[in-house]
Order: sequence, then C-alpha cells, then structure tokens
Amino acid sequence: MKPSPLVRELTRLVGSDAVLWRPEDLMLYEYDGLSSAGQPHAVVLPSTTEHVVAIVKLATRENVPVVARGAGTGLSGGSVVTEGGIVVATSRMKQIVEIDLENQRARVQPGLVNLDLSLAVSDDGYYYVPDPSSQKACTIGGNVAENAAGPHTLAYGVTTNHVLGLEVVLPDGEVIHTGAKFWDRPGYDLRGLLVGSEGTLGIVTEITVRLCRKPEAITTLLSIYDRVVDATRTVAAITARGITPSALEMMDGFTLRAVEEATHAGYPTDSAAVLLVEVEGLREAVEEQAHQIEAVCRENQAREIRLAQTAEERELLWRGRKNAFGALGRISPSYYVQDGVIPRTRLPEMLEYIEQVARKYHLLIGNMFHAGDGNLHPIIMFDARDAGQAQRVRQAAEEILARCVEMGGAITGEHGVGLEKRNLMPLTFSADDLEMMRRLKSVFDPKGSFNPGKLLPTGQGRGGLRVQVSTGEGL
Amino acid sequence: MTVAVQSALSGLTSVVGTSRVVRDPATCASLAVDGRTPACVLYPSSAEQVAAVLQYAAQHDLAVIPCRNATKLGVGNVPRRYDVALSLKEMKQVRHYEPADLTVTAEGGMTFGDFQHFVSRDGLWLPLDPPGAWRASLGGILATNASGPLRLFYGAPRDMVLGMRIATSEGKVIKTGGRVVKNVAGYDMAKLLIGSYGTLGVIVEASFKLFPLPRARATFVLPAGPLGITRDLRSRILRSPLQPLRLVLLDAVTAKLALAGTPLAREVKEPEIWLEMGGSARVIERCAGELEELGKAVGAPVYRLEAENAEVAWTRISDFRTWLPEACPGVAILKVVLPDAASEEFLSRAEQEAENDKVALASFTQLGIGILHLCLLEAESATARIALIRRLRSAAQDLGGALVVEHCHWDIKSRVDVWGPTGDDFAVMAKVKAAWDAKGILAPGRFVGGL
Repeated sequence: MKPSPLVRELTRLVGSDAVLWRPEDLMLYEYDGLSSAGQPHAVVLPSTTEHVVAIVKLATRENVPVVARGAGTGLSGGSVVTEGGIVVATSRMKQIVEIDLENQRARVQPGLVNLDLSLAVSDDGYYYVPDPSSQKACTIGGNVAENAAGPHTLAYGVTTNHVLGLEVVLPDGEVIHTGAKFWDRPGYDLRGLLVGSEGTLGIVTEITVRLCRKPEAITTLLSIYDRVVDATRTVAAITARGITPSALEMMDGFTLRAVEEATHAGYPTDSAAVLLVEVEGLREAVEEQAHQIEAVCRENQAREIRLAQTAEERELLWRGRKNAFGALGRISPSYYVQDGVIPRTRLPEMLEYIEQVARKYHLLIGNMFHAGDGNLHPIIMFDARDAGQAQRVRQAAEEILARCVEMGGAITGEHGVGLEKRNLMPLTFSADDLEMMRRLKSVFDPKGSFNPGKLLPTGQGRGGLRVQVSTGEGL
Repeated sequence: MTVAVQSALSGLTSVVGTSRVVRDPATCASLAVDGRTPACVLYPSSAEQVAAVLQYAAQHDLAVIPCRNATKLGVGNVPRRYDVALSLKEMKQVRHYEPADLTVTAEGGMTFGDFQHFVSRDGLWLPLDPPGAWRASLGGILATNASGPLRLFYGAPRDMVLGMRIATSEGKVIKTGGRVVKNVAGYDMAKLLIGSYGTLGVIVEASFKLFPLPRARATFVLPAGPLGITRDLRSRILRSPLQPLRLVLLDAVTAKLALAGTPLAREVKEPEIWLEMGGSARVIERCAGELEELGKAVGAPVYRLEAENAEVAWTRISDFRTWLPEACPGVAILKVVLPDAASEEFLSRAEQEAENDKVALASFTQLGIGILHLCLLEAESATARIALIRRLRSAAQDLGGALVVEHCHWDIKSRVDVWGPTGDDFAVMAKVKAAWDAKGILAPGRFVGGL
C-alpha cells in the first residue's frame, strides 16, 4: 500500500515518524470513550504550533476536515471523525512551557496529561483544580475543548474558571492569542467562547492556567445508606444548609458493589447508596464542616458514617470512585454513561424516575455521579450484541435527558455535546439560539472544516441520541 | 440631528408606547456620555420590547447605548454616535429563585442592592463588590465584568453566571447556558457578553449561582511600609493556609480619602494592607493569630477593625470610582492589569513617574489578583496627565500587563485610546461584533479598537 499524496505532503511537513496512515495504525483513532465512527485519512502528531499551522493550512487548501484529539477519553464522540480527514493528535505536545508559582500560573501544551501538571507543582504545595475521573490519561487540551469538570470542581469551578489564556490556530492557519497571564485583558472574552467549543472553532496549542494552593487540611467522609432516597435528601440538605464541600459524590448500591469487587476500597456492599464527601481548607474550618455534614447525614438516616483516617484510606476511596467505569466493564458486556444536570433539590425525584425508566425498558441502570452539582451519570448496562437492547438503551437515555430539561436542567454537564447529543440541542435551545451559535461557528470556521458534524444539530428539528453500535463499549 | 434621525426617533413610540419614551432634556442629559446627549431615553418593560427596540434601531440606523443607573456609563471611548439611551429601569424582577439550590434568575435592570437584599433573607449572597455596587444593575455589572476585592476568594461575575437571555439587534431574544450550576451544552455565549460593554447585545436576564454568607467576617489592617515589605507580606499571606476574602493595598492618600466621612476617619501616613477573613469565630481567631505572627516577622503591628466599621470602610474602598470624581474633579482613574507579582514593581515605577511629572497620585491595589487602580488626582495640565498615562501604559506593558483608562474627562479620550492597543485576536473580535451587531448600532466606537 502506498501513501496518498496528502500523506506524502503531511510527511514532508512534519516528518514520517509523525504521520500515521496505514489502516492498522488508524484503527485506534476510530474510537473515543463513547463509540467509534469513521476512519481518518491520516493521523498527524505535531510537536509545535508551527506544525499545527502547516497541517491546518494544507488541510484548508485541500478542503479536508481537521479533527483535534487529545487522549481520546471523551464521552460524547467529540474526537472521532465523521467525514474522514486529518486527525491532529496532540500527544507529542506535552511540554510544561512555564511554571510561575509566584503568579500561580502555568503555561502548558495541549497534550499534557491533566494529572502531570498537578504532580509537577505538588511538592511546592500547588495543584491544578479540574480533576476529571480520567485525569491520569486525559489531556488539558481535551479538557479545554470539553470544558471538563471533575469531583473537585464543585467548590472551585470547572475548566473555564481556571483557564486564563489560549494560543489558538484558526482554520485559516492564523495564530491568535486570547486572554493573557493576567485577568481582564480588554476585549471580547474569546477564551471563554473557545473553552468548551469542542474543537469546532480552533485548535488550542498553548494554555495558560491558574494553579491553586493546596489546602492545609482535607477530610473525607463516607456516609452509608439503606435507602437511595436518604442519600439524595442528604445532598439537597447539605446544599440548602450552605455547607460547601469540595466534593460530594454519590454511588448507588449496584455501582459500589461493582467498584468494591474490583478495587477493594472498603465500600459496604450491602448498602443502597453511599455519599463520598470531602471538605478542605483551614484545619478548624474542616473540623467544623465535617461535624455539620455528619449531623446532616444522620438527620437523613445515614446508617453509618466513616471517616478516612489516613491519606491511604482517602486515596483508596477515590481510586474506587475514579476507576468505577473500569469496574463496571467487568460485570457487563457494554455500558452507556449518560451525563445530564438537574437542580440539586430534585435529586430524590430524579433517581426515582431513573428507576422507573429502567423498569419500563427492562434495563439495569447504575448511578454514580457528582451529586453536589446535580450532575447525573446514569450508567446503563446492556449487551451490544442484542440490537433490541441497544434500541431500548437509547430510548431510556433520551427519556432521562428530556426529564432533566423539564426539571430546568441541562443535557450535558461536562461530557459535551459532540456527535452524541448534537440532535438533542433543540430540546434546550430555540432555532434563534442555534442560529447565533452557527454564526459564531462561521466567524471562526467559514468552511466548516474543523470537527465537522459536532455540537450543532444536523437538521432543523429535534433528533435523537447518536451512538454507534460497536463491538466494544458504547452502543 | 438630521431629519431622518428625527423621524426615526418619533417611530419609537409605536415600538414601546408613548409612556416609555422620555425626551425631557434633563433626563437625557443625565445619561450623556462624553459630552454626547441622547435624543431620548427608552424604558422597555420586557425582553421582547428590548429586542423590538434594537431591531427598530438597526433598521433606522439609530445608535443605542444600554444603561441603568449610569455607574459605569463613562467607561469606554467617545461614542461615534449616540441617539438613544436604552434604560432597563423597568426590568427589575426576580424571575426564578431556588434558595435551596443556591440559584437565581433575575432581570438585567434589577439593581445589585435590591438583588442582594432579596437573597440575603435566606443567608445567601452574590459575592461581588464592584464600584458603585448598590446602585449598579446586574446587567451593567455583567456587561462590564465589574469586580472588586472579593474577587480574590470568589472570582469574577463571569465565574458566577449560569446562563443568560440576550436581546439582539435583529430583534431576537436568545438564550445561552441555563439555570443549573453545570452546563456545557452549546457555545458559552454568555462569556462573550460578559465584559462586552453593551456592544454585542443587551443582557435582559441572567442566572447566577449564589453563595452562603460567611458566618462571621473580620477585617485586619497592617501597615505596609515600603514596597519591598509589601511584596514580602503579600507573598507570605498568599502562601499561607489563610484564604482571605479580600486583600488590598491602599496607599496613604487612598486610605485617608476612603476613610474620610466614616467613623474610621484618621490621618494615614503609610500605605496599609487591608485583609478580610471569613468563617466561624474559631476560624477567625486562628487567622488573627496567624496574622499577628506574620506581622511580627516583618515588624508590622496588626490591628483588627470593629465589624460594623469594617463594612462601611470596605464599601467606601470598593466604591472609590463613584466618590473620587466628586471629591477630585478632573481626576483620571486608570485600571492596570498585570501578573500579580509585578504589582509592587509597577507601583514603584508609577510613583516615580508621577513625582517626575508633579502629578498627585493615589493607588488601590487588589493583591493576589493583579488589578491596580491608579488615580491621577491633580496635574498641571491635561497634557501632563496624558503624557503620564502613556508612560504608565508602557510600564504596564513592559511588565506583561495592560492599562485601561476607566475614568477621565472626554477631551483626554480624544488623545488616548482608553483601552490601549489591540492584539492578534482583534480581527476575530471584529467579526464577532459584526455577527451580533451587523449594523453597528450598539454603543458604536466605544469598545476596544473602536468596535
């Protein structure tokens, strides 16, 4: 097999070791955390902004789509290709360009793994706040594209609250710098628009982020319940009392049994639900808040409250939580993770609704989510080999998301719209809202060559979820 | 005013009704911008009416500036044109309030004071303290991304907005974001509107996340001494486990002016660091102890203010942009944004430059955020002020920052661009402006690069 002229040209621009084009090499790039789509013509692994510019200029000249990709851990199909084209994979752009502790800033390339930034500044007492469950693998560039969050963004805000400046390559090959190392640079906040734009407006080649001081004290509580509704009521009560934990996660019995089997973190397998609650700050404040939370948990019929006694115990509880998806993979041939948001006070009613949906469609649905944010992650178990089941899974997920919107919530809290939910956008946005979004898309990308087929609906009316059936995870 | 504009203006009554169009000269004059007076003031009562006004204005080429109580109306370059002041005075309702969820949706014309009062009955607040906060409107605070010292702990307006409804110059009311605390569906268009100074659309409604009021607060004052000591103190405080809600450096002139007329009025000889801590009584005692230690280490005695007096003083400090121009007519107020650690270096250069030019200076620095306000109080001439502004701007740029002239007489604006130079992202900004406001009727010429 011979490389195409496009591949030869790419090779000339970035070197042969930075271009993948053989079908067996491209297979890996057909997937992300959601599903698979088409195969790209080529995958390019640039090392510099100049490389990205050269690739983008070539693609524009040749009228070929460009899809940026970090670690491919996304859960909405944001980095898979729909119309062929070139995948710009940032895995070699993983330098920390600058660490400036005095100003609490870091400048990084987009391919840097999220956790690596926190590790680099940890000894000096700093960290980078947004901590998606995939933080050992996902990249900061990908986090910027999706406006990623994590358990600890409850108190300190999501990616957009921690990004100050971006260097961006536009579809015409121009490089712009938006935002700065300091706050309030005069002008429109293009940085704010680009964060969460899912690779449809530009390719980010450098990111300036804020670093935060690590807290003096952290306390982690595990509150254990015999009824799901008591756990969800606790969440609403904690919020209503004005207590701000740094993390407030919930796992139902089904999920925590799977997690316990896989990680032996010490989760009680006979309970209906647990809350994992963390408070941090000054020692005195942490003690007080932990007591308040304990009291709220007890008022809401917690069966038992455990305190992580050591850093190891805490680490183990979190490892269980963050590796939960892997644990579920052990017990179900496939599973489908949803992402929706509701007002926190509606959690009890929503979890009941999810149970009804599960019964209606004869499906098993686990729940493990950022309860403090009202950010649900129903996990629907199924067997992808059974086409009928796949159809039911899709319907169940759509009904849950529609209910989120009815309750005044959102169709995605952190995973993004991507390919998966583009046709659900009319559920929450009017034609006029979407028209303005389309117009902004054409300000940046008049030819529509960056990540085509993502974020914006393909037709006029409301469609359904798009999740491709594959042999692996997803449907 | 041309005949065409005259007849276009008269058509506005059919859009909002006669009672909502005011042409009385005194009312118009109260909303003048840089010597330009609007021909009328409109008071629409709904989002749809705002949109209809904008659509009409776009069709008839009338220049519109959105406003409420004019607390920040002076910020920006001289408008190229100004026909209509669009006041959101009649749009001041809370539309949706879920105290247990810590979320609220209110109309853009609601004043921050009314809003804060409304949510405080549930022990909640929107932790912002921008200049003129109590009279400012929610829409105005968002349109200018206005913040004050509380930003250190709580962030800026952009960090607290969950969603918005925006009236556009095409006559549409569009939505971005929502009412829940997490949402990544679609482009985050609210970010574009925040800080756009009314040049893209009119923020008719916004949803916010609210915060519980701290159980107690305490304010501490440390004499800052020379700038070297300030740097040391700033760095020690920011590296300590303490998390101040506010942390500012006031030079002696600012401190004295700010305290004048309050129960704390006194002679101030030296710059001071003001610091506010929040939490339980026990937390505050711990902070007091830590600060005392810190003060000892640099030889600065720490004193604590009475809670009641402290609140008065903080309001006065945050509000300087409101009262200073009254106290010192002709004052120019500059906002300098730069990497935080360069604050003292910039201040020392500024003091030197001002002394050379014989310009009396007052400064107010938000430590830990990298925002400084410099007030050029008295100068021999406008020319001296302009020369100094230019040199201060290049000093800010040398240190990796930027300078915005937030308040000055408009004859200065004809010789200095208040926003400063644009960057390589300006072409995109211009296209964004065209996408929202194709006819260029929204606050034309006032924003960055003449947008």
